[in-house]
Amino acid sequence: MSETEIRERLRGWILERSGATGERLASDDLPILEEGLLSSLDIVEFILFIESLRGEEVDIEAIEPEVFTNVNTLYKAFFAGVAH
Amino acid sequence: MHEPASAPRTLRSGFLRSLAAFPERVALEVDGEALSYAELGARAGGVAETLRRHVPAGGPRLTAVFGQRSSGVYAGVLAALLRGDGYVPLNPAFPAERTRAMLERSGCRAVIVDEHGAKRLLEVLEGVERKLVLLLPHEADVSAFEAALPRHAWLGRDALERPGADALEPVDPNGIAYLLFTSGSTGIPKGVMVAHRNVVPFIDAMVARYAISERDRFSQTFDLTFDLSVFDLFVAWERGARVCVPTQAQKMLPQKYVTQSELTVWFSVPSTGALMNRLRMLKPGQYPSLRWSLFCGEALPGEIAAAWAAAAPGSTLENLYGPTELTIACTLYRWDPERSPAECEQGVVPIGEPYPDMRVLVADEALREVPPGEVGELLMTGPQLSLGYLDDPEKTAAAFVTPPGRSEVYYRTGDRVRSNDGRRPMVYLGRMDSQIKIQGYRVELGEIEAAIREEAGVDVAVAVGWPRNELGGADGVIGFVAGGALAPERVRERVAARLPAYMAPREIRAVSEFPLNANGKVDRKALLALLAGAK
Repeated sequence: MSETEIRERLRGWILERSGATGERLASDDLPILEEGLLSSLDIVEFILFIESLRGEEVDIEAIEPEVFTNVNTLYKAFFAGVAH
Repeated sequence: MHEPASAPRTLRSGFLRSLAAFPERVALEVDGEALSYAELGARAGGVAETLRRHVPAGGPRLTAVFGQRSSGVYAGVLAALLRGDGYVPLNPAFPAERTRAMLERSGCRAVIVDEHGAKRLLEVLEGVERKLVLLLPHEADVSAFEAALPRHAWLGRDALERPGADALEPVDPNGIAYLLFTSGSTGIPKGVMVAHRNVVPFIDAMVARYAISERDRFSQTFDLTFDLSVFDLFVAWERGARVCVPTQAQKMLPQKYVTQSELTVWFSVPSTGALMNRLRMLKPGQYPSLRWSLFCGEALPGEIAAAWAAAAPGSTLENLYGPTELTIACTLYRWDPERSPAECEQGVVPIGEPYPDMRVLVADEALREVPPGEVGELLMTGPQLSLGYLDDPEKTAAAFVTPPGRSEVYYRTGDRVRSNDGRRPMVYLGRMDSQIKIQGYRVELGEIEAAIREEAGVDVAVAVGWPRNELGGADGVIGFVAGGALAPERVRERVAARLPAYMAPREIRAVSEFPLNANGKVDRKALLALLAGAK
């Protein structure tokens, strides 16, 4: 999966789960937690979704809370090096 | 700023005592800021003094606090209490219409607002006729707010007074300490009035049981609109302990929160434990700093308790139970890795025994006590029995009852339990009605159904908890409508705009007609089976 596709899938999941429209997530820099687009209620399913995109488990211990800041930080933490 | 020695104890008393005893110790960690008791007390005292000078006397002794997880909101809660008022927490993440209704019904004449609340404030105040004093301690310039809504009195940072040096005015222990709104089955949230005399015995019981000291570091996982947050703040502050508020990012990875904050007291809904278990965050020995692990708000699965106990081997795990009307928690059960797995029923940890001064009645439909070991509705009474529902004598009379042959008023919890038979502790078995729990929040499906009916313009709508989770509850809600002109997705959007996120239906499904059971009522089980079949 290409970087563009992964970012699109991430944005799509967040928008669908939050019930927000596409304009709410116009930029990959948008702070998704502060904007209420993602919350701790979503975390299990979100991690499972990320694992399904990666095709492997996430090492939870190795990630820092800040990776959930925005789509850019999510991509960097979970997919940099995975995309092709 | 102190209370005279003769003043009756109220919710603020413990903080004031710790302020005098440990002024330099950290009372609150929030947003990267560590505030000592002296600093937090000074902020709260300044806000309290400003309210005293600007809010006219008379009217209900309640002050609203509109904000979330900021130093301003915690100082605001304390400020309301220092002024002698009860506090009414309002969450900026809730829909504006709902917050407005709570604000209006509470009769508050002053609102303390933090930076998060400020963003939603004009929306919330739309159409509010009563003149309010709005205090925004973080705001350098309130002129834009003033121009938009000139009927209210606006006070910013410049208006803040210094804390008064005098003894604080005594507070009536029978007065309201906090007013919290819970989901109401008829579509309108109910305001539960909890008095100082209800909450002080709870705090005393907790401080003594858990031997809280100034060395403790408390989690703060609960929103202030959830009464379990009263434990986080006021049990900690009673003994000079530190309250550690997670950042939004830490809430996503609670295991980092426990370790980075070096928590010694953990308190959360079981859903958080379940989430951590599913994400492989409960590894044996992972949380050595914890000495107490407490859960409340929904059924605790034995499997989660066992995994947590292994992850925090230095801690004692307890399952607490209690509705808001009985002041935070009123029964508890201590987990014993050897004995407890055999005491779980349907995989759920018992709710155990009442707090020392609380009394239990497990009753049948006629409110007569059932024999030991039988199933019935749980009723309780004692010093934690709250004052009832604000301006709602009908609902208060229905829930706060005097059972036949008894002289005291009991609260009907609506929870089905199997009573203690001398061998097996009391166990929660489910609800008598259609209330469900989502992440520990009480959700009356009737309230969601009322919203769907209104938005869809139909006579009948049904909401069910879905998907079901391992706690025997649900992770969300699905709504059903038959007929109606509006597209289901549009109905969902409108309903979601009226309800807090945890209550908003994930989906609204149109059905040609509702399945009915033998009594001619909508067959909810058939709807659940429909969802299960569609998985």
